[in-house]
Amino acid sequence: MLDTVFAPATLPGQGALALLLIQGQPHPPVFTDADKACGGALTRAIAAAAFTGKKGQTCVVLGATDAHPRVVLVGLGPNPNARAYEEAGAAAALVLHKDPVATLIPSGTDTDAAHAALGAALRSYRFDRYRTKEKAEDKPSLTTLTIATQNPDAARTAYAPLIAARDGVFLARDLASEPPNVLYPAELADRCRALEAVGVTVEILDEAALAELGFGAILAVAQGSAHGARVVVMQWQGAEGPPVALIGKGVTFDTGGISIKPAPNMEDMKWDMAGAAAIIGTMHTLAARKARVHAVGIVGLVENMPSGTAMRPGDVIRSLSGQTIEVQNTDAEGRLVLADLLWYAQDRFAPRISIDLATLTGAIIVALGHHHAGLFSNDDPLATQLLAAGTASGEALWRMPLGEAYDKLIRSDIADMKNIGGRPGGATIGAQFVQRFVRGPWAHLDIAGMAWATKDSALAPKGATAFGVRLLDQLIAANYE
Amino acid sequence: MNLSFVRRSTAPVRVVPVAPGATPPRPTRAHVAGFTTMPGAATLLVGRKSRLLLVALHEPEAAGALAIARLPHDGHVAIDARTLPHATAVSLAAGAIMRGWQFDRLRTQPGPGTRLERLDILTHDPAAARIAWEGLRPGVEGALFARDLVTEPGNILTPQGFTARLARLEREGVQVEILDAAQLRNEGFGALLAVGAASEHPPCLAILRWPGAGNADPAVLVGKGVTFDTGGISIKPGAGMWDMRADMAGAAACAGAMLALALRRSPVPAVAVLPLAENAIGAYAYRPGDVLRTYDGTTVEIVDTDAEGRLILADALGWSVRQLRPRAMVDLATLTGAIVTTLGHDHAGLFSTDDALRDALIDAGTAMQEPLWPMPLAPATELESDIADILQCTTGPRQPDALLAATFLRHFTGDVPWAHLDIAGVELRERGPWYDPDRHALGATGFGVRLLDRWLSTLG
Repeated sequence: MLDTVFAPATLPGQGALALLLIQGQPHPPVFTDADKACGGALTRAIAAAAFTGKKGQTCVVLGATDAHPRVVLVGLGPNPNARAYEEAGAAAALVLHKDPVATLIPSGTDTDAAHAALGAALRSYRFDRYRTKEKAEDKPSLTTLTIATQNPDAARTAYAPLIAARDGVFLARDLASEPPNVLYPAELADRCRALEAVGVTVEILDEAALAELGFGAILAVAQGSAHGARVVVMQWQGAEGPPVALIGKGVTFDTGGISIKPAPNMEDMKWDMAGAAAIIGTMHTLAARKARVHAVGIVGLVENMPSGTAMRPGDVIRSLSGQTIEVQNTDAEGRLVLADLLWYAQDRFAPRISIDLATLTGAIIVALGHHHAGLFSNDDPLATQLLAAGTASGEALWRMPLGEAYDKLIRSDIADMKNIGGRPGGATIGAQFVQRFVRGPWAHLDIAGMAWATKDSALAPKGATAFGVRLLDQLIAANYE
Repeated sequence: MNLSFVRRSTAPVRVVPVAPGATPPRPTRAHVAGFTTMPGAATLLVGRKSRLLLVALHEPEAAGALAIARLPHDGHVAIDARTLPHATAVSLAAGAIMRGWQFDRLRTQPGPGTRLERLDILTHDPAAARIAWEGLRPGVEGALFARDLVTEPGNILTPQGFTARLARLEREGVQVEILDAAQLRNEGFGALLAVGAASEHPPCLAILRWPGAGNADPAVLVGKGVTFDTGGISIKPGAGMWDMRADMAGAAACAGAMLALALRRSPVPAVAVLPLAENAIGAYAYRPGDVLRTYDGTTVEIVDTDAEGRLILADALGWSVRQLRPRAMVDLATLTGAIVTTLGHDHAGLFSTDDALRDALIDAGTAMQEPLWPMPLAPATELESDIADILQCTTGPRQPDALLAATFLRHFTGDVPWAHLDIAGVELRERGPWYDPDRHALGATGFGVRLLDRWLSTLG
């Protein structure tokens, strides 16, 4: 992991440099110093590369002087916001990852410096736990990035809550990246114990406890696996009063069960617990920054396997709510998990709001691609808050419909409902099913298209995105503290 | 269908709508027969000489539809609106007519149901009711006109068959101009020509002008008119292909809306631009990999010949932007299967570059019970081609094709406020869990006509 330290805003004597520049504004004094140290090479490079400071533009100057073998100029665009500093910090870290010593000079406020540091850290994330033969030259050489800013103490203060966000994101990315033979329900539950270190109360319900309480839907999904189900209840009591309930789907591997999936790309189903990972990451963030909120995170952890003991298409199961469900497709298992979790959360905690995150349907990818997660809600004020938090955090949501016409499609001939309703409107039908277990203000985020990236993005290498952590952190900071 | 507003009727069955809290006629018998005013409730009381159908009255069009749904063997029906306001009376009529529609033109022998031939609306003031009806009639007639077009099969409703049906609009004062294939070639409609190239029935562009009053720039409607869609070289699977006779429902809806405008002598100038083609298979078919040049000069790399709708719309949109100076432009198309996966059969997808236009269309859809759901557009970078200006679509599983198709169309809209309605999934109502026989006739819906008519009526 890339460490970041803050230092006073003077030109360092040596090492690689990154300078963040605002489009259409005079260059800061430190640029002049650096340019002088490089014998005017920066000014010449700007002219030669037609560098304007446009957002996302970079200009790398190599070998201008022995003291600063690599200098990168990164454009912030005009009027940069926190997000622009994060993305510029990320771009700089990417260029500097081979430099053993490097300094990033954002030239903004101390808060801007903190965001640049966060961006650099987020973009430098690596999941290399299982690489045993990586050569030293293939690894990043930069382990500590110095951020030069006016008042390092102020920057450190501004950075403290961002460290909490960073660590929550990293935790969620780690969990979603772990292979399914390593990260099965009991193991994932154990990993949640780590949150006790930041003050979260962690309670693990094992199979016996779940059977005792009547989690019939979750147990049905898990019954085909050698690994038993777990439900983890994480509480952060940063304030009094009824909590915000955050619910996550945690299918540690989804074969589809008896309704087995086609083989191509089935390996992606290791991250069918990305909703749970995001909730765990969020709980870490809230506790680590001592958020003044009462939040309870509940994740349902199961593995969906085909076997002699697996649930079958046609089975009727009894959920925790008492409602019966005809299982017509064992690959529509996420909604079964959410059904019991939402009911339990409402029964036990009477929350102010409930939000669930789940990689629930392929249909949401057809609907929205990889630009927005689907937002379904029975409460307009909550939906508005979530849409705003999505815009502010860069984790964008798009509202999708709910309605009686869709609910009709999950009527069963022999039970209270069935778990599928046909391809048309598939994501809405999934949400409609979940809504049958909801009392009170609720939102469902279908993150199937957002949890994993096949391409690098501004703030993350390809792979697990931790989508939801910064969104929920932002939602709570803006509305529930 | 013969609609009359009368004081007395000889119909053998009389429908009495009963609002919640109101007392039904013959209250004791109604009670014994189990009548309630719950939504969807209807009870038939059979007397010695006549029959009485009590229907719960909530939303009036739904009640009118419910009445006809429960009287499948009556060709002559009276609805008793004597205690109801005229606005309710005419909405009951609209619902009954929309539900009673059926397409019998191709039957040589009587069908299974009885066609609703006469509808009498009982009222104390027929003259006033007739005036109220003139507010609804244009939209209803436009919708039924569109339904007939959508229902007619691909061997009869070819591009030329479609243009022949436009004589009805000319009779009402709509100016109809047809650009034939030779003219399209001269003008450079490279996409429309390519899509229609393999068909024995050549493509054409129908331009329908309603002059309105005054000199305002026109509102422009653009409708996809693929009279039959085999998919072309990227041929569709056989199952369900017959539905593709309805792949001109966008063009039909625009034509129906123009009929409505003309029938109500709208002051708003409007033009409908309908690219008509059959996407057939043959030696002259266009191929995946081809690069086409559209009307506005854009080059398009073809990926899938079954994504033909966006191509003919590209030519029509580009032509409209250059030739018509539109104040706003709305296109309707049965464009993608992805929108069906997204929204099912309960909403059409709405994509727009203009917030005010988007909101106005949503309001019109809500008012006319043709609901729209707003959807996002994607960045243009999603459609970068290696060898041409733009890629037609993308390949692979789970492509967000509805929003990519809309993103493709945006390229051809210049700076005109524009909205795109992907009406795949709402153009037909087929038997299945989605189908509500109490509310809707089976088959073509005419979706879009009443919505567009309503929207256009709000433009000054």
